[in-house]
Amino acid sequence: MRYITEVLASRELLANLTLREIRGQYKRTIFGQLWSLVNPLATMLVYTIVFAFILRVSPPPGNPSGLNIFAVWLLCGLLPWTFFATVVQQGMGSIIANAGLVQKVYFSRIVLPLSTVGSVGYNWLFEMGVLLVVLAVCGSFVWPWIPLVLVVMVLLAIFAAGLALMLSVANVHFRDTQYLVSILMQIWMYLTPIIYPISLVEQQSQAHGGLFGSSITLLDIYRLNPLERFVSVFRQLLYDNTWPNIQDLVLCAVWACASIVIGVGVFRRSEKGLAEAL
Amino acid sequence: MTDISVQVDHVSKRFRMYHERNQSLKSAIMRGRRSVHEDFWALKDVSFEVPTGSTFGLIGSNGSGKSTLLKCLAKIYYPEKGSISHRGRIAALLEVGSGFHPELSGRENVFLNGSILGMTKKEVTRKFDEIVEFSGVEQFIDQPVKNYSSGMYVRLGFAIAINVDPDVLVVDEVLSVGDAEFQEKCSQKFVDFKAAGKTVILVSHSMTAVQEMCDSAAWLSHGELVSVGAAEPTIRAYLESLNSPSA
Repeated sequence: MRYITEVLASRELLANLTLREIRGQYKRTIFGQLWSLVNPLATMLVYTIVFAFILRVSPPPGNPSGLNIFAVWLLCGLLPWTFFATVVQQGMGSIIANAGLVQKVYFSRIVLPLSTVGSVGYNWLFEMGVLLVVLAVCGSFVWPWIPLVLVVMVLLAIFAAGLALMLSVANVHFRDTQYLVSILMQIWMYLTPIIYPISLVEQQSQAHGGLFGSSITLLDIYRLNPLERFVSVFRQLLYDNTWPNIQDLVLCAVWACASIVIGVGVFRRSEKGLAEAL
Repeated sequence: MTDISVQVDHVSKRFRMYHERNQSLKSAIMRGRRSVHEDFWALKDVSFEVPTGSTFGLIGSNGSGKSTLLKCLAKIYYPEKGSISHRGRIAALLEVGSGFHPELSGRENVFLNGSILGMTKKEVTRKFDEIVEFSGVEQFIDQPVKNYSSGMYVRLGFAIAINVDPDVLVVDEVLSVGDAEFQEKCSQKFVDFKAAGKTVILVSHSMTAVQEMCDSAAWLSHGELVSVGAAEPTIRAYLESLNSPSA
Protein backbone atom coordinates (compact mmCIF):
# COMPACT_ATOMS: atom_id res chain seq x y z
CA MET A 1 0.00 0.00 0.00
CA ARG A 2 2.78 2.40 0.89
CA TYR A 3 4.41 1.57 -2.39
CA ILE A 4 1.32 2.66 -4.26
CA THR A 5 1.27 6.00 -2.45
CA GLU A 6 4.92 6.48 -3.30
CA VAL A 7 4.30 5.76 -6.96
CA LEU A 8 1.30 8.06 -6.93
CA ALA A 9 3.45 10.77 -5.43
CA SER A 10 5.79 10.49 -8.41
CA ARG A 11 3.07 10.93 -11.01
CA GLU A 12 4.32 14.41 -11.80
CA LEU A 13 7.77 13.03 -12.45
CA LEU A 14 6.21 10.33 -14.57
CA ALA A 15 4.40 12.95 -16.62
CA ASN A 16 7.58 14.99 -17.01
CA LEU A 17 9.67 12.01 -18.10
CA THR A 18 6.98 11.02 -20.56
CA LEU A 19 6.94 14.55 -21.94
CA ARG A 20 10.72 14.48 -22.20
CA GLU A 21 10.49 11.42 -24.43
CA ILE A 22 7.66 12.81 -26.51
CA ARG A 23 9.19 16.23 -27.00
CA GLY A 24 12.69 14.95 -27.53
CA GLN A 25 11.72 12.20 -29.94
CA TYR A 26 11.02 14.12 -33.12
CA LYS A 27 13.05 17.25 -32.36
CA ARG A 28 14.92 18.50 -35.39
CA THR A 29 12.89 16.48 -37.85
CA ILE A 30 10.89 18.24 -40.52
CA PHE A 31 7.89 15.91 -40.42
CA GLY A 32 7.81 15.57 -36.65
CA GLN A 33 4.99 13.44 -35.31
CA LEU A 34 4.16 12.21 -38.83
CA TRP A 35 7.13 9.88 -38.58
CA SER A 36 5.27 7.82 -36.02
CA LEU A 37 2.78 7.00 -38.80
CA VAL A 38 5.36 6.07 -41.39
CA ASN A 39 6.50 2.91 -39.68
CA PRO A 40 3.09 1.21 -39.39
CA LEU A 41 2.18 2.40 -42.89
CA ALA A 42 5.31 0.91 -44.40
CA THR A 43 4.74 -2.38 -42.56
CA MET A 44 1.13 -2.35 -43.68
CA LEU A 45 2.15 -1.85 -47.28
CA VAL A 46 4.66 -4.69 -47.20
CA TYR A 47 2.31 -7.13 -45.49
CA THR A 48 -0.58 -6.20 -47.73
CA ILE A 49 1.46 -6.82 -50.86
CA VAL A 50 2.98 -10.05 -49.61
CA PHE A 51 0.03 -11.60 -47.82
CA ALA A 52 -3.02 -10.27 -49.58
CA PHE A 53 -1.68 -9.90 -53.10
CA ILE A 54 0.90 -12.67 -53.43
CA LEU A 55 -0.15 -15.27 -50.87
CA ARG A 56 -3.86 -14.50 -51.21
CA VAL A 57 -4.74 -14.51 -47.54
CA SER A 58 -8.32 -13.37 -47.26
CA PRO A 59 -9.76 -12.70 -43.81
CA PRO A 60 -13.52 -13.00 -43.44
CA PRO A 61 -15.36 -9.71 -44.03
CA GLY A 62 -16.38 -7.71 -41.01
CA ASN A 63 -19.62 -8.92 -39.52
CA PRO A 64 -21.90 -6.93 -39.27
CA SER A 65 -19.85 -4.00 -40.62
CA GLY A 66 -19.37 -5.63 -44.03
CA LEU A 67 -15.86 -4.20 -44.39
CA ASN A 68 -13.62 -6.23 -46.62
CA ILE A 69 -10.29 -4.46 -46.94
CA PHE A 70 -7.19 -6.40 -46.01
CA ALA A 71 -5.08 -3.34 -45.22
CA VAL A 72 -7.62 -1.98 -42.73
CA TRP A 73 -8.18 -5.40 -41.21
CA LEU A 74 -4.42 -5.73 -40.84
CA LEU A 75 -4.02 -2.35 -39.17
CA CYS A 76 -6.65 -3.18 -36.54
CA GLY A 77 -4.33 -5.92 -35.30
CA LEU A 78 -0.98 -4.47 -36.30
CA LEU A 79 -1.21 -1.16 -34.44
CA PRO A 80 -1.94 -2.78 -31.05
CA TRP A 81 0.83 -5.29 -31.66
CA THR A 82 3.38 -2.63 -32.62
CA PHE A 83 2.51 -0.67 -29.49
CA PHE A 84 2.89 -3.76 -27.35
CA ALA A 85 6.19 -4.79 -28.90
CA THR A 86 7.64 -1.28 -28.68
CA VAL A 87 6.67 -0.86 -25.04
CA VAL A 88 8.19 -4.19 -24.12
CA GLN A 89 11.43 -3.50 -25.97
CA GLN A 90 11.90 0.13 -24.97
CA GLY A 91 10.66 -0.39 -21.43
CA MET A 92 13.09 -3.25 -21.04
CA GLY A 93 16.00 -0.95 -21.85
CA SER A 94 14.72 2.04 -19.91
CA ILE A 95 16.71 1.44 -16.74
CA ILE A 96 19.96 0.95 -18.61
CA ALA A 97 19.30 3.95 -20.84
CA ASN A 98 18.92 6.08 -17.73
CA ALA A 99 21.78 4.50 -15.79
CA GLY A 100 23.28 7.90 -15.04
CA LEU A 101 20.10 9.04 -13.43
CA VAL A 102 19.60 5.88 -11.42
CA GLN A 103 23.10 6.08 -10.00
CA LYS A 104 22.92 9.74 -9.06
CA VAL A 105 19.43 10.60 -7.93
CA TYR A 106 16.90 8.92 -5.74
CA PHE A 107 13.42 8.65 -7.16
CA SER A 108 10.88 5.94 -7.57
CA ARG A 109 12.58 3.82 -10.24
CA ILE A 110 9.35 2.43 -11.53
CA VAL A 111 8.64 5.69 -13.35
CA LEU A 112 11.34 4.90 -15.92
CA PRO A 113 9.66 1.86 -17.54
CA LEU A 114 6.26 3.44 -16.98
CA SER A 115 7.25 6.62 -18.79
CA THR A 116 8.05 4.50 -21.83
CA VAL A 117 4.52 3.17 -21.74
CA GLY A 118 3.35 6.78 -21.67
CA SER A 119 5.46 8.02 -24.54
CA VAL A 120 4.87 4.99 -26.77
CA GLY A 121 1.21 5.11 -25.81
CA TYR A 122 1.02 8.70 -26.95
CA ASN A 123 2.21 7.71 -30.41
CA TRP A 124 -0.19 4.81 -30.42
CA LEU A 125 -3.09 7.08 -29.54
CA PHE A 126 -2.16 9.23 -32.50
CA GLU A 127 -2.00 6.20 -34.81
CA MET A 128 -5.31 4.84 -33.55
CA GLY A 129 -6.87 8.24 -34.14
CA VAL A 130 -5.80 8.10 -37.76
CA LEU A 131 -7.06 4.52 -38.01
CA LEU A 132 -10.46 5.63 -36.72
CA VAL A 133 -10.68 8.21 -39.48
CA VAL A 134 -9.66 5.61 -42.06
CA LEU A 135 -12.27 3.18 -40.71
CA ALA A 136 -14.95 5.84 -40.84
CA VAL A 137 -14.03 6.74 -44.40
CA CYS A 138 -14.20 3.08 -45.40
CA GLY A 139 -17.73 2.88 -44.05
CA SER A 140 -17.27 1.36 -40.63
CA PHE A 141 -19.66 2.72 -38.03
CA VAL A 142 -17.00 2.73 -35.35
CA TRP A 143 -17.94 5.73 -33.19
CA PRO A 144 -20.12 3.99 -30.55
CA TRP A 145 -17.32 1.54 -29.82
CA ILE A 146 -14.67 4.13 -29.03
CA PRO A 147 -15.11 4.07 -25.23
CA LEU A 148 -14.73 0.30 -25.17
CA VAL A 149 -11.72 0.51 -27.50
CA LEU A 150 -10.11 2.90 -25.02
CA VAL A 151 -10.74 0.46 -22.19
CA VAL A 152 -9.08 -2.36 -24.10
CA MET A 153 -6.20 -0.05 -25.02
CA VAL A 154 -5.66 0.66 -21.33
CA LEU A 155 -5.76 -3.08 -20.60
CA LEU A 156 -3.15 -3.76 -23.26
CA ALA A 157 -0.99 -0.93 -21.91
CA ILE A 158 -1.20 -2.46 -18.43
CA PHE A 159 -0.31 -5.88 -19.78
CA ALA A 160 2.67 -4.46 -21.66
CA ALA A 161 3.77 -2.41 -18.65
CA GLY A 162 3.88 -5.47 -16.42
CA LEU A 163 6.00 -7.34 -18.91
CA ALA A 164 8.29 -4.33 -19.41
CA LEU A 165 8.79 -4.04 -15.65
CA MET A 166 9.85 -7.68 -15.31
CA LEU A 167 12.14 -7.52 -18.31
CA SER A 168 13.74 -4.20 -17.37
CA VAL A 169 15.00 -5.75 -14.15
CA ALA A 170 16.13 -8.90 -15.90
CA ASN A 171 17.97 -6.80 -18.45
CA VAL A 172 19.98 -4.99 -15.78
CA HIS A 173 21.28 -8.32 -14.48
CA PHE A 174 21.57 -10.11 -17.79
CA ARG A 175 22.08 -7.97 -20.86
CA ASP A 176 21.29 -11.04 -22.94
CA THR A 177 17.65 -10.38 -22.21
CA GLN A 178 17.29 -7.67 -24.83
CA TYR A 179 18.65 -9.86 -27.61
CA LEU A 180 16.64 -12.86 -26.57
CA VAL A 181 13.47 -10.82 -26.29
CA SER A 182 13.83 -9.23 -29.71
CA ILE A 183 13.91 -12.71 -31.22
CA LEU A 184 11.04 -13.91 -29.08
CA MET A 185 8.96 -10.91 -30.09
CA GLN A 186 9.36 -11.83 -33.75
CA ILE A 187 8.21 -15.36 -33.07
CA TRP A 188 5.41 -14.09 -30.90
CA MET A 189 4.16 -11.86 -33.68
CA TYR A 190 3.81 -14.79 -36.06
CA LEU A 191 2.11 -16.80 -33.33
CA THR A 192 -0.56 -14.13 -33.13
CA PRO A 193 -3.22 -13.81 -35.83
CA ILE A 194 -2.13 -10.38 -37.01
CA ILE A 195 -1.30 -10.92 -40.64
CA TYR A 196 -3.41 -14.03 -41.12
CA PRO A 197 -6.91 -14.81 -39.87
CA ILE A 198 -7.33 -17.28 -37.02
CA SER A 199 -9.64 -19.32 -39.29
CA LEU A 200 -6.52 -20.73 -40.97
CA VAL A 201 -5.33 -22.06 -37.62
CA GLU A 202 -8.78 -23.46 -36.92
CA GLN A 203 -8.63 -25.47 -40.16
CA GLN A 204 -5.23 -26.92 -39.29
CA SER A 205 -6.39 -27.67 -35.78
CA GLN A 206 -9.44 -29.56 -37.04
CA ALA A 207 -7.32 -31.51 -39.45
CA HIS A 208 -5.08 -32.69 -36.61
CA GLY A 209 -7.81 -33.29 -34.04
CA GLY A 210 -6.91 -33.87 -30.39
CA LEU A 211 -3.23 -33.85 -29.65
CA PHE A 212 -1.59 -36.97 -28.25
CA GLY A 213 -4.92 -38.69 -27.84
CA SER A 214 -6.32 -35.96 -25.58
CA SER A 215 -9.13 -33.56 -26.30
CA ILE A 216 -6.76 -30.58 -26.33
CA THR A 217 -6.52 -29.20 -29.85
CA LEU A 218 -3.89 -27.11 -31.50
CA LEU A 219 -6.28 -24.20 -31.36
CA ASP A 220 -6.64 -24.44 -27.58
CA ILE A 221 -2.91 -24.10 -27.16
CA TYR A 222 -2.76 -21.37 -29.76
CA ARG A 223 -5.37 -19.38 -27.91
CA LEU A 224 -3.35 -19.36 -24.69
CA ASN A 225 -1.49 -16.45 -26.25
CA PRO A 226 -2.79 -13.34 -24.50
CA LEU A 227 -2.15 -11.19 -27.56
CA GLU A 228 -4.50 -13.39 -29.58
CA ARG A 229 -7.32 -12.32 -27.28
CA PHE A 230 -6.35 -8.67 -27.43
CA VAL A 231 -6.10 -8.67 -31.20
CA SER A 232 -9.44 -10.39 -31.62
CA VAL A 233 -11.13 -7.95 -29.25
CA PHE A 234 -9.69 -5.01 -31.19
CA ARG A 235 -10.88 -6.51 -34.46
CA GLN A 236 -14.35 -7.25 -33.12
CA LEU A 237 -14.69 -3.65 -32.00
CA LEU A 238 -13.01 -1.80 -34.82
CA TYR A 239 -13.42 -3.97 -37.86
CA ASP A 240 -16.61 -5.91 -37.14
CA ASN A 241 -18.30 -3.19 -35.05
CA THR A 242 -19.79 -5.68 -32.65
CA TRP A 243 -19.72 -6.47 -28.95
CA PRO A 244 -16.53 -8.32 -28.18
CA ASN A 245 -16.72 -11.89 -27.02
CA ILE A 246 -17.15 -11.54 -23.26
CA GLN A 247 -14.78 -14.41 -22.55
CA ASP A 248 -12.06 -12.72 -24.60
CA LEU A 249 -12.60 -9.43 -22.84
CA VAL A 250 -12.46 -10.99 -19.38
CA LEU A 251 -9.32 -12.89 -20.29
CA CYS A 252 -7.68 -9.67 -21.49
CA ALA A 253 -8.41 -8.11 -18.10
CA VAL A 254 -7.11 -11.19 -16.27
CA TRP A 255 -3.90 -11.22 -18.29
CA ALA A 256 -3.41 -7.50 -17.69
CA CYS A 257 -3.90 -7.85 -13.94
CA ALA A 258 -1.65 -10.87 -13.65
CA SER A 259 1.07 -9.16 -15.65
CA ILE A 260 1.04 -5.92 -13.69
CA VAL A 261 0.88 -7.64 -10.30
CA ILE A 262 3.84 -9.87 -11.09
CA GLY A 263 5.67 -7.01 -12.82
CA VAL A 264 5.33 -4.59 -9.94
CA GLY A 265 6.15 -7.34 -7.46
CA VAL A 266 9.34 -8.30 -9.26
CA PHE A 267 10.33 -4.69 -9.80
CA ARG A 268 9.76 -3.73 -6.21
CA ARG A 269 11.85 -6.59 -4.92
CA SER A 270 14.86 -5.69 -7.00
CA GLU A 271 14.45 -1.93 -7.14
CA LYS A 272 16.90 -1.27 -4.33
CA GLY A 273 19.70 -3.21 -5.93
CA LEU A 274 19.44 -1.54 -9.33
CA ALA A 275 21.97 1.24 -8.78
CA GLU A 276 24.55 -1.30 -7.69
CA ALA A 277 23.88 -3.84 -10.39
CA LEU A 278 24.10 -1.37 -13.25
CA MET B 1 22.95 18.14 22.43
CA THR B 2 20.47 19.78 20.11
CA ASP B 3 18.06 18.01 17.78
CA ILE B 4 19.45 15.23 15.69
CA SER B 5 18.77 15.69 12.02
CA VAL B 6 20.49 12.67 10.54
CA GLN B 7 21.40 9.57 12.44
CA VAL B 8 23.73 7.04 10.94
CA ASP B 9 23.43 3.91 13.02
CA HIS B 10 25.99 1.12 12.68
CA VAL B 11 25.91 1.25 8.92
CA SER B 12 27.80 -1.37 6.94
CA LYS B 13 27.75 -1.61 3.18
CA ARG B 14 28.98 -4.57 1.24
CA PHE B 15 29.89 -4.77 -2.40
CA ARG B 16 30.38 -8.03 -4.13
CA MET B 17 33.46 -8.28 -6.23
CA TYR B 18 32.75 -10.86 -8.83
CA HIS B 19 35.66 -12.75 -10.19
CA GLU B 20 33.51 -14.27 -12.85
CA ARG B 21 30.35 -12.37 -12.91
CA ASN B 22 27.22 -14.07 -14.17
CA GLN B 23 26.50 -11.21 -16.48
CA SER B 24 25.25 -13.38 -19.25
CA LEU B 25 22.66 -16.08 -19.17
CA LYS B 26 25.06 -18.56 -20.64
CA SER B 27 27.51 -18.32 -17.79
CA ALA B 28 24.68 -18.41 -15.28
CA ILE B 29 23.32 -21.61 -16.74
CA MET B 30 26.66 -23.24 -17.34
CA ARG B 31 27.80 -22.71 -13.79
CA GLY B 32 24.47 -23.30 -12.17
CA ARG B 33 23.23 -20.56 -9.97
CA ARG B 34 26.48 -19.91 -8.21
CA SER B 35 28.76 -17.07 -9.01
CA VAL B 36 32.23 -16.59 -7.64
CA HIS B 37 32.56 -13.49 -5.58
CA GLU B 38 34.37 -11.94 -2.69
CA ASP B 39 32.81 -9.56 -0.25
CA PHE B 40 34.21 -6.11 0.07
CA TRP B 41 32.98 -4.00 2.92
CA ALA B 42 33.05 -0.40 1.75
CA LEU B 43 31.63 0.77 5.05
CA LYS B 44 32.17 -0.99 8.33
CA ASP B 45 29.97 -0.20 11.27
CA VAL B 46 29.85 3.56 10.83
CA SER B 47 27.80 5.53 13.32
CA PHE B 48 27.44 9.22 13.90
CA GLU B 49 24.83 11.87 14.41
CA VAL B 50 24.41 15.14 12.65
CA PRO B 51 22.68 17.83 14.70
CA THR B 52 20.04 19.96 13.04
CA GLY B 53 21.29 23.19 11.61
CA SER B 54 24.91 22.17 11.44
CA THR B 55 27.19 21.75 8.50
CA PHE B 56 28.87 18.40 8.60
CA GLY B 57 31.92 17.41 6.59
CA LEU B 58 33.01 13.95 5.52
CA ILE B 59 36.73 13.68 4.93
CA GLY B 60 39.10 10.92 4.06
CA SER B 61 41.39 9.73 1.31
CA ASN B 62 40.21 8.24 -1.96
CA GLY B 63 38.48 4.94 -1.49
CA SER B 64 37.69 5.56 2.14
CA GLY B 65 33.97 5.11 1.62
CA LYS B 66 32.85 8.73 1.67
CA SER B 67 30.93 8.55 -1.56
CA THR B 68 29.42 5.21 -0.64
CA LEU B 69 28.17 6.71 2.58
CA LEU B 70 26.81 9.67 0.67
CA LYS B 71 24.99 7.38 -1.70
CA CYS B 72 23.55 5.52 1.25
CA LEU B 73 22.35 8.84 2.64
CA ALA B 74 20.85 9.64 -0.74
CA LYS B 75 19.02 6.29 -0.79
CA ILE B 76 20.79 5.22 -3.96
CA TYR B 77 22.51 2.38 -2.12
CA TYR B 78 20.96 0.54 0.76
CA PRO B 79 23.19 -0.57 3.62
CA GLU B 80 23.40 -4.28 4.39
CA LYS B 81 23.46 -3.61 8.11
CA GLY B 82 22.43 -0.71 10.26
CA SER B 83 20.10 2.10 9.36
CA ILE B 84 20.04 5.74 8.47
CA SER B 85 17.24 7.89 9.77
CA HIS B 86 16.63 11.52 9.06
CA ARG B 87 14.12 14.17 9.86
CA GLY B 88 12.49 16.12 7.09
CA ARG B 89 13.20 16.06 3.43
CA ILE B 90 16.62 15.01 2.28
CA ALA B 91 18.06 16.01 -1.08
CA ALA B 92 21.31 14.82 -2.52
CA LEU B 93 23.45 16.70 -4.96
CA LEU B 94 25.74 14.07 -6.34
CA GLU B 95 25.74 15.36 -9.86
CA VAL B 96 24.37 18.50 -11.44
CA GLY B 97 22.07 18.47 -14.40
CA SER B 98 20.95 14.86 -13.97
CA GLY B 99 18.46 13.92 -16.60
CA PHE B 100 18.88 17.02 -18.73
CA HIS B 101 17.70 16.33 -22.23
CA PRO B 102 20.11 18.03 -24.64
CA GLU B 103 17.46 18.82 -27.25
CA LEU B 104 15.07 20.47 -24.82
CA SER B 105 15.26 24.10 -23.83
CA GLY B 106 16.68 25.30 -20.54
CA ARG B 107 13.16 26.15 -19.40
CA GLU B 108 11.83 22.64 -20.07
CA ASN B 109 14.85 21.12 -18.43
CA VAL B 110 14.36 23.16 -15.28
CA PHE B 111 10.93 21.62 -14.87
CA LEU B 112 12.16 18.16 -15.76
CA ASN B 113 15.17 18.25 -13.48
CA GLY B 114 13.16 19.85 -10.69
CA SER B 115 10.69 17.01 -10.72
CA ILE B 116 13.47 14.43 -10.80
CA LEU B 117 14.84 16.07 -7.67
CA GLY B 118 11.43 15.78 -6.08
CA MET B 119 9.95 19.25 -6.54
CA THR B 120 6.35 19.71 -7.54
CA LYS B 121 5.44 21.72 -10.59
CA LYS B 122 4.04 24.45 -8.38
CA GLU B 123 7.30 24.74 -6.48
CA VAL B 124 9.33 24.97 -9.65
CA THR B 125 7.01 27.59 -11.09
CA ARG B 126 7.30 29.62 -7.92
CA LYS B 127 11.07 29.41 -7.86
CA PHE B 128 11.64 29.56 -11.57
CA ASP B 129 12.80 33.16 -11.70
CA GLU B 130 15.06 32.66 -8.75
CA ILE B 131 16.63 29.59 -10.36
CA VAL B 132 17.22 31.33 -13.66
CA GLU B 133 18.62 34.41 -11.99
CA PHE B 134 20.93 32.35 -9.82
CA SER B 135 22.24 30.40 -12.79
CA GLY B 136 22.82 33.57 -14.82
CA VAL B 137 21.62 32.06 -18.10
CA GLU B 138 18.51 34.27 -18.47
CA GLN B 139 19.35 35.13 -22.02
CA PHE B 140 19.57 31.53 -23.15
CA ILE B 141 16.79 29.95 -21.13
CA ASP B 142 14.74 29.11 -24.23
CA GLN B 143 17.68 27.63 -26.11
CA PRO B 144 18.29 23.88 -26.15
CA VAL B 145 20.79 23.01 -23.44
CA LYS B 146 23.05 21.21 -25.91
CA ASN B 147 24.09 24.68 -27.07
CA TYR B 148 25.09 25.70 -23.56
CA SER B 149 28.70 26.02 -22.58
CA SER B 150 29.74 23.49 -19.97
CA GLY B 151 29.81 26.26 -17.39
CA MET B 152 26.27 27.32 -18.16
CA TYR B 153 25.14 23.72 -18.05
CA VAL B 154 26.46 23.05 -14.57
CA ARG B 155 25.36 26.45 -13.31
CA LEU B 156 21.80 25.79 -14.37
CA GLY B 157 21.93 22.30 -12.87
CA PHE B 158 23.33 23.61 -9.64
CA ALA B 159 20.81 26.45 -9.45
CA ILE B 160 17.94 23.97 -9.64
CA ALA B 161 19.44 21.65 -7.07
CA ILE B 162 20.16 24.41 -4.59
CA ASN B 163 16.58 25.58 -4.84
CA VAL B 164 15.06 22.22 -3.93
CA ASP B 165 15.02 23.62 -0.42
CA PRO B 166 15.35 20.42 1.57
CA ASP B 167 15.79 20.12 5.32
CA VAL B 168 18.95 18.15 4.79
CA LEU B 169 21.23 18.76 1.83
CA VAL B 170 23.83 16.18 0.91
CA VAL B 171 26.55 17.52 -1.38
CA ASP B 172 29.39 15.77 -3.15
CA GLU B 173 32.15 18.15 -4.18
CA VAL B 174 30.01 20.07 -6.55
CA LEU B 175 31.07 23.33 -5.04
CA SER B 176 33.82 23.60 -7.55
CA VAL B 177 31.57 24.47 -10.46
CA GLY B 178 31.55 27.69 -12.41
CA ASP B 179 33.79 30.70 -12.18
CA ALA B 180 34.90 32.54 -9.05
CA GLU B 181 31.82 34.74 -9.10
CA PHE B 182 29.48 31.78 -9.23
CA GLN B 183 31.36 30.02 -6.47
CA GLU B 184 30.99 33.11 -4.36
CA LYS B 185 27.22 32.96 -4.94
CA CYS B 186 27.19 29.30 -3.98
CA SER B 187 29.00 29.80 -0.69
CA GLN B 188 26.59 32.62 0.07
CA LYS B 189 23.73 30.23 -0.60
CA PHE B 190 25.20 27.75 1.85
CA VAL B 191 25.49 30.47 4.48
CA ASP B 192 21.83 31.37 3.93
CA PHE B 193 20.98 27.72 4.14
CA LYS B 194 22.64 27.40 7.45
CA ALA B 195 21.06 30.57 8.73
CA ALA B 196 17.69 29.06 7.88
CA GLY B 197 18.48 26.20 10.24
CA LYS B 198 19.02 23.60 7.52
CA THR B 199 21.50 20.79 7.78
CA VAL B 200 24.23 20.28 5.22
CA ILE B 201 26.39 17.20 4.82
CA LEU B 202 29.28 17.61 2.48
CA VAL B 203 32.11 15.58 1.10
CA SER B 204 35.22 17.35 0.03
CA HIS B 205 38.89 16.89 -0.54
CA SER B 206 39.48 20.54 -0.02
CA MET B 207 40.37 20.90 3.65
CA THR B 208 40.12 24.66 3.46
CA ALA B 209 36.53 24.39 2.26
CA VAL B 210 35.65 21.96 5.02
CA GLN B 211 37.40 24.08 7.61
CA GLU B 212 35.61 27.18 6.45
CA MET B 213 32.13 25.76 6.21
CA CYS B 214 31.78 22.86 8.59
CA ASP B 215 31.10 22.82 12.29
CA SER B 216 31.87 19.19 12.68
CA ALA B 217 33.41 16.48 10.60
CA ALA B 218 33.83 12.75 10.36
CA TRP B 219 37.00 11.14 9.13
CA LEU B 220 36.68 7.87 7.28
CA SER B 221 39.51 5.56 6.41
CA HIS B 222 39.09 2.27 4.56
CA GLY B 223 35.43 2.20 5.37
CA GLU B 224 35.85 2.72 9.05
CA LEU B 225 35.09 5.76 11.08
CA VAL B 226 38.33 7.03 12.57
CA SER B 227 37.03 10.00 14.43
CA VAL B 228 34.11 12.31 14.57
CA GLY B 229 33.81 15.64 16.28
CA ALA B 230 34.45 19.33 15.84
CA ALA B 231 35.77 20.11 12.39
CA GLU B 232 39.08 21.65 13.30
CA PRO B 233 40.70 18.88 15.39
CA THR B 234 39.35 16.19 13.06
CA ILE B 235 40.92 17.84 10.05
CA ARG B 236 44.17 18.32 11.92
CA ALA B 237 44.27 14.66 12.91
CA TYR B 238 43.55 13.64 9.33
CA LEU B 239 46.29 15.85 7.90
CA GLU B 240 48.75 14.61 10.49
CA SER B 241 48.05 11.02 9.57
CA LEU B 242 48.85 11.85 5.97
CA ASN B 243 52.21 13.29 6.93
CA SER B 244 53.22 10.31 9.02
CA PRO B 245 52.46 7.20 6.96
CA SER B 246 53.15 4.92 9.91
CA ALA B 247 50.11 6.21 11.78
